[in-house]
Amino acid sequence: MVNLTIDGKQITVSRTATIYEAALEAGINIPVLCYAKKLLPFGACRVCLVQVEQMKGRLIPSCTTPVSEGMVVTTTSEEILKVRKTVLEFLLVNHVIECPVCDKGGECDLQELTYAHEVVTNRFQGEKFNLETDEVNPLIERNMNRCVLCGRCVRVCDEIVGYGSYSFINRGFETKIATAYDRGLNCEFCGQCVSMCPVGAILPRPFKFKARPWQLKEVDTVCGYCGNGCTVTLGVLNNKVETIRFNDKIGVNDGNLCIRGRFGYSYVNSEERLTTPLVRKGGQLVETSWDEALQVVADGFKQAQAGLGILSGARLTNEEMFLLKNLAKVAGTANLDHSGGECYKGVTEGVAGALGIAASTGTFPQVEACEAILAIRSDFYETHPVFGMVVNQAVKRNDAQLWLVADKRGKFAKLPNAKNLLHRPGMELDVLNGLARVLLDEGLAQTEGVEGVAELKQALANFGSDQVAARTGVEADALQSAARQLAAAKKSAILLAYGLPYTAYSRELGVAAANLAILLGIPGRDGSGLYLCGEKANSQGAIDLGIVPQTGGLGAQAMLDAAANGKLNALYVVGEDMLTSYPDHGKVEKALEKVPFLVVQDIFLSPTAAKAHVVLPAATFAEKDGTFTNAERRIQRVRPGIPLPGQAKTDGAIIADLIEKLGGNLAFTGSAAIFAEIGRNIPVYASVSFNGIGPQGFVWGGEILTPSRRRLQPIGGAVPVEGAFQLLTGSALYHSGTVSTRAKGPQAVVAEPYIEFGREDAKSLALKDGDLVKVAGNGVELRLKVKVDNRLPKGVLFAPYHFAAAGINRLYKGEAAVSVTVSK
Amino acid sequence: MSEAVETATAEQEIDLAGANEILDHYVDMPGALMPVLQAIQEHYGYIPEPTVHLAAERLNVYSSQIFGVLTFYAQFHLEPRGKYIVRVCKGTACHVRGANRIGDTLKERLGIGHAETTEDLKFTAEYVACIGACGMAPVIMVNDATYGSMTVQKMDEVIEKYKKMD
Repeated sequence: MVNLTIDGKQITVSRTATIYEAALEAGINIPVLCYAKKLLPFGACRVCLVQVEQMKGRLIPSCTTPVSEGMVVTTTSEEILKVRKTVLEFLLVNHVIECPVCDKGGECDLQELTYAHEVVTNRFQGEKFNLETDEVNPLIERNMNRCVLCGRCVRVCDEIVGYGSYSFINRGFETKIATAYDRGLNCEFCGQCVSMCPVGAILPRPFKFKARPWQLKEVDTVCGYCGNGCTVTLGVLNNKVETIRFNDKIGVNDGNLCIRGRFGYSYVNSEERLTTPLVRKGGQLVETSWDEALQVVADGFKQAQAGLGILSGARLTNEEMFLLKNLAKVAGTANLDHSGGECYKGVTEGVAGALGIAASTGTFPQVEACEAILAIRSDFYETHPVFGMVVNQAVKRNDAQLWLVADKRGKFAKLPNAKNLLHRPGMELDVLNGLARVLLDEGLAQTEGVEGVAELKQALANFGSDQVAARTGVEADALQSAARQLAAAKKSAILLAYGLPYTAYSRELGVAAANLAILLGIPGRDGSGLYLCGEKANSQGAIDLGIVPQTGGLGAQAMLDAAANGKLNALYVVGEDMLTSYPDHGKVEKALEKVPFLVVQDIFLSPTAAKAHVVLPAATFAEKDGTFTNAERRIQRVRPGIPLPGQAKTDGAIIADLIEKLGGNLAFTGSAAIFAEIGRNIPVYASVSFNGIGPQGFVWGGEILTPSRRRLQPIGGAVPVEGAFQLLTGSALYHSGTVSTRAKGPQAVVAEPYIEFGREDAKSLALKDGDLVKVAGNGVELRLKVKVDNRLPKGVLFAPYHFAAAGINRLYKGEAAVSVTVSK
Repeated sequence: MSEAVETATAEQEIDLAGANEILDHYVDMPGALMPVLQAIQEHYGYIPEPTVHLAAERLNVYSSQIFGVLTFYAQFHLEPRGKYIVRVCKGTACHVRGANRIGDTLKERLGIGHAETTEDLKFTAEYVACIGACGMAPVIMVNDATYGSMTVQKMDEVIEKYKKMD
């Protein structure tokens, strides 16, 4: 700690603090422009100049100068104010004054500083830039005439996003911020630069001329897309979500968002939302009243009895899932599951079997300080981009070593220090087993208090480095050095994302990851963690709440099989477009056609809903009150920002109505009461009250979860996929599930399905972007648009699963990779 | 980004073998961007765009950063340059002794002004501030050869001489 005096105030701060941070801690506000809390000090704008007794003769930039013992700092004096004012005059020489039509007006740092310092005239004159506005893309507008060269966009894109779109180009007065070759922006469109820009140079286009900032009502809630659980602050005007506001004060994401969170909100305002209940009459879905619809559903459920199946999506709130579970009880069925029923087994069977807990063991922010990170499956950044940004920071700022067990060269592979253990499609399991074997062979494994060491050793007999290398294509040396360095790290993390397009070996991968974590001593160790991250906003909640197959009940796949064979009486699908998202379209279709009574509750008339006998209009995250539990066990408040459209009701309200119609009796109403009831049933939720959930949420089990046991589970390897071309499916960065295909932001960047080829294959097949190809496999042929990129090795193809039109799940039936043929 | 790479690659057919060889040499050397770019320019005569993206990929820096470096330093050229670089000195001494006439002659005969290149990629004109040979003003350089006490007539002779060469 260091003692210093700022404006006569004695303060003690950490020796790594800057003068600016020290002042902030003491409640003294120094004006800044280029400074941003989450970025490294830069010192570009000179607005934060202060006087330091020991450094007389010049003013000192407080945001880049570290504190030292005995420093005496003055932050405001006549001289300082005069210089600051001059600095502002300089900045205003080039900055075009368009405040009346600038969307930043009212929350512009430059505007506020100019106002605060009363800069009414300017002694200096100079040329203003007259650059064209970059409006090539529909999401981010760049008007570089307003730029003050603070470099915040350059830095956030590099330090946190790891994409590096921007750089300072040219020199002297000509300096400006541009992309390579000064072209239009073409990037991930996460909009981090938008959130960082202190002026109106980088703005969200969808928000242009929509509202003045002060007109917006701000509602803090949790993003409805993925399991990252980012705080999104809705900017609401006239009951419409007009934008997502920057908010780094609360939540787990430090103000960082991806394209989905920042630009993917428009579906909530969509004209295509379901607004009235629909009932099938004479073969047609016709509008009806809630009374009739609920009665029809209740009658159907009564008739179905134990032959009712309930399939939920993983974007319901915890409270709604709890009600759903109650509904199952009241309806007398044990057939309850969520999200495809296979993909979460890595958590519920793999990790739970190993550690006695079905959840991640650490929290995301701790990963930034990890020395070693192992990310399994190449799509981790695509499924959980904001957690991915934490990994970026760990690597870029703290020199963490990063290993990827991946079938492509994805975003992570481009990070410095990243070592891609690039394997043949579907062979993750063998690589993980290979790593475990090295740890055991070389005595690097932590085996004290660990059960099942001998059994695992036996099971890994065929996973010697050379054997693994031969099967997976990962070099034996790379495998061994990865294992050794992982074992040497004191703080390490293992990351594995799961979701609907990743059902193959889901249980086995969870087991293998847990084995590795145990051998590395990760579970329960401070700063380390095993992270199994669900694809959807409340995937973890669904597991916690037990929306999983019950004793004597059917899971999702079994329900579909039963339905397809005419053995299920009714199916109630809540918030899932199974026809698009579930593997094996044919099976789902047959099940939906054969089941005598199908009820679909959703926000859009999805292909699944279109097949229903009754369609119930539900709510989005932006209309709900309740809680989500993210992939690190963080329970966070979801708050309604806008009213429900038409007669739509929240899923919770609908389920509660159904319980009543079925003769059930709910002793609790309202989110807080339901949450309390959850606590009475699920012990880990008992330690916090609904209203006690703070701005950072509540992490059940604590930042580091201590496992109740450490049990290694013997596990085999994967079956290699044969064939010249192997098709992978999965998540594309810009989308999440199927609902993002209704959102303008993600659609603006990736509007339609595609099949991705690596350069080498594209060259040998003479394919270029936009060509149509026939892809055949599993007895099905699809025509898909070609996209060429440099991520895929030879023979590996990738197609995202989000799009109903593509019908990827006609090909993909849950395999790790599908052997396909390609023809023009 | 990748789309940009592809368009660029399609537009400019460049043999990347030379750049790859240069990169092989520097790839493990931290902070080697400047010498890499200089060597690439030496090899190709300028910095072709595909080499920028290649260097970015192999050196683990962003294309945007390389572009920043390329536009910061006057020494780098992003367009193909002529075989013969004609530097017309416009320093004080040359200026008073008629450097403008020399520059104008070049423009009239070859149609190229400062930083411009003839379509056949034979000549590039560059107006420079001073090349340190004020005693023989006005002075020009063609690649490494210096020509002093230039007149319009002598300029014509020099141009003709290089036109005849390959």
